Amino acid sequence: MSRTRSLVTTSWSRRDFLRISGAGAVTLGMMMVSPSLLARSRPWARHDAIMELLDGAEPDTSGVTLELPSVSEDGSNISLTVRVDSAQENGEYVKSIHLFAPDNPNPEIAVFHLTPLSGQAQIATRIRLNESQRVFAVAKLSDGSFRIGSQDARVTVSGCLTDDATYDSSGLMQARVRTPRSLRPGEVGEVLTIINHPMETGFREDADGNTIPRRIIHSFVAELDGETVLRADFHPSLAANPYLRFHVKPNGSGGTLALEWTDDEGETTREEAELSVS
Amino acid sequence: MDSIKMNRRKLLKLLGAGGALAAAGPLASPAFAARTAGRVVGVGGGFGGATAAKYLKRLQPGLDVTLVEPAREFYTCPFSNLYLGGMRQMEQIVHGYDTLKNRYGIKVVHQYAEDVDGEAHTVRLANGETLPYDKLVLSPGIDIDFEGLEGYDEAAAEKLPHAWKAGDQTRLLRSQLEAMDDGGTFILSAPDNPFRCPPGPYERVSQIAHYFSQHKPRSKILLLDAKDAFSKQGLFMDGWREVYGDMIEWVGLSDDGRVVRVDADSRELESEFGEIHRGDVVNVVPPQKAGAIAHRAGVTNGSGWVPVKPHTFESQQVDDIYVVGDATIAAPMPKSGFCANAQARVTAAAIVAELNGQDPLDPVWTNTCYSVIAPEYGISVAGVYRVIDGEIREVEGSGGVSPRDADAAFRRREAEYAVQWYNAIVQDTWETRGLQKTLT
Ligand SMILES: Cc1cc2nc3c(=O)[nH]c(=O)nc-3n(C[C@H](O)[C@H](O)[C@H](O)COP(=O)(O)OP(=O)(O)OC[C@H]3O[C@@H](n4cnc5c(N)ncnc54)[C@H](O)[C@@H]3O)c2cc1C
Repeated sequence: MSRTRSLVTTSWSRRDFLRISGAGAVTLGMMMVSPSLLARSRPWARHDAIMELLDGAEPDTSGVTLELPSVSEDGSNISLTVRVDSAQENGEYVKSIHLFAPDNPNPEIAVFHLTPLSGQAQIATRIRLNESQRVFAVAKLSDGSFRIGSQDARVTVSGCLTDDATYDSSGLMQARVRTPRSLRPGEVGEVLTIINHPMETGFREDADGNTIPRRIIHSFVAELDGETVLRADFHPSLAANPYLRFHVKPNGSGGTLALEWTDDEGETTREEAELSVS
Repeated sequence: MDSIKMNRRKLLKLLGAGGALAAAGPLASPAFAARTAGRVVGVGGGFGGATAAKYLKRLQPGLDVTLVEPAREFYTCPFSNLYLGGMRQMEQIVHGYDTLKNRYGIKVVHQYAEDVDGEAHTVRLANGETLPYDKLVLSPGIDIDFEGLEGYDEAAAEKLPHAWKAGDQTRLLRSQLEAMDDGGTFILSAPDNPFRCPPGPYERVSQIAHYFSQHKPRSKILLLDAKDAFSKQGLFMDGWREVYGDMIEWVGLSDDGRVVRVDADSRELESEFGEIHRGDVVNVVPPQKAGAIAHRAGVTNGSGWVPVKPHTFESQQVDDIYVVGDATIAAPMPKSGFCANAQARVTAAAIVAELNGQDPLDPVWTNTCYSVIAPEYGISVAGVYRVIDGEIREVEGSGGVSPRDADAAFRRREAEYAVQWYNAIVQDTWETRGLQKTLT
């Protein structure tokens, strides 16, 4: 399918958005879409954030793939992979990927800012879903155009799961990282990270009924010898212990990959790893 | 005529209610026996398939019901953990098909079903025979997804058993535990959802801790988990601490518990972030999918499981094929033997209703999963499920887990209920007995 690159002058309406995003979901996830979910999808649910991002532009409904389990038995931790078809090279690349869960109290999940150093426009992470809904991914390309994809996700709270969220604060802000041992020139490597953090939404109450204040990791930066590989903004709909799987394509002979997380209290964690290319 | 119909509706409704596990009575009244000559084939003689066959015959003795199951004897996964712990013998968890054949007139064919032609309405068996059907019930349970975990194939399973289908695999694991030296390390790797028996891995390590505490008290248990939360988590962890001290260590997903590669020869498990764990005995509970015949029949979707219509458990993809038990996507109902049994009763009722030109009834399913942490320490989780807004939901406020602060007498009673539950469900499914009344 060809990409429609239209400088739409007539403002793009919410209706158009629902029409195309609906169509997108059907082609992307034919096997997964349950008719009941489609019927229940609330037409005027909270799509404002997506509309704002698009700002009247008409997104292409192809080229973005979202993978989520069709049924999840634990809404607090759902793995998600988003992939945008793109060479991710200097000429044309994906600048950012925005994830939304419109029926969550806070619809924004995360924003990932990519560069040609990212090598591949593909991110895996773990998210929270309050209820069954359609999850959206919007990609903004270097030429200013947008693409959108969506996937229905059903959440059931399994009777066999208790809700004792066991969070251990002892290792707060402790990170684990896995990087490629060595890369060949031009090869895209995979980086895996996780960091201990409750990602308190600010919507929870403690045993005495007091609101537990919001405290999340709000930003993550990955740099290779000072140049941005990936920058991410996290929101409360990202699951506790933020998990990221992204890519890096070093120029020349590699360098030092530095990763830094910052939370609402200003605490930071920094990890470094050598990437060798040979 | 009307009153008979009413009675049957009530009867079906009662059966649909599932949870009662009432003793069998002579339910088939001649008034509606043998009216419809329909042919129903069931594939799988486990919890779902055996129950479906039996209830079809009970509701309508005139039906021609054939049950296809390769094994002459069925070992239940329920209580196979107790065999590992030394609390049961294998002879106590094996069940045959004689009563289903002799008392109910079900034709039991000991063959493997190789293929289904949904258009032609036929099932092809391994011996080349073809069985025609009007309605087909598949309850093949799970298959291990040997593509789902690097290094874990059929050969690896002979060294690092899964024991997630009871029988030889369970015996293999037990013999490895017996051969292990005191002071050794046992590792269990637990998969992400969905998988058969959500509390199963946690009951298993409890039972193995029981065995160790009696025979190899210096040994350790490491549970590597691809999840951050699991069934009855608080209760299990309390029980482990109370009964086994610090013998069991659980490592969840966020602490790098997910195993991504196994090496069967060196008994090593590699975690997502590259840590290597070596065990003296390693039990891999691998990722799973619906049994192969469901894939052959074209009823599975991209997830590897079977989407079903909630009221009847008829396939969403192929008409006249009903699927029950672990193979289905029935969440929030767990993949349990109790659920397979409850789903099979509802499906039997729905098939009989349809063959008689009636609407299916509004189903209610119940589930209780007992887990036995020690001979006198049982815990449970229960739920009631209905179709709400076109999907299966847990009835709010219906279920729950055992209280966190219960006393020893309560835990002892729950261990006794577990035995009673086992005896009742095998009676209801195969009309066989589970023997002993207590665990000690
Ligand atoms: C360790 C462990 C403990 C458990 N404890 C409990 C418990 O305490 N309570 C509980 O409720 N549940 C428990 N379960 C879960 C329970 O065992 C399953 O949910 C239940 O067996 C599912 O029933 P089913 O009919 O779907 O599959 P099964 O009972 O596995 O039956 C499937 C049958 O189909 C046959 N079959 C498969 N393919 C074919 C084919 N092509 N042709 C012919 N036959 C075929 C197989 O031989 C098998 O006999 C436990 C599971 C495990 C692993």
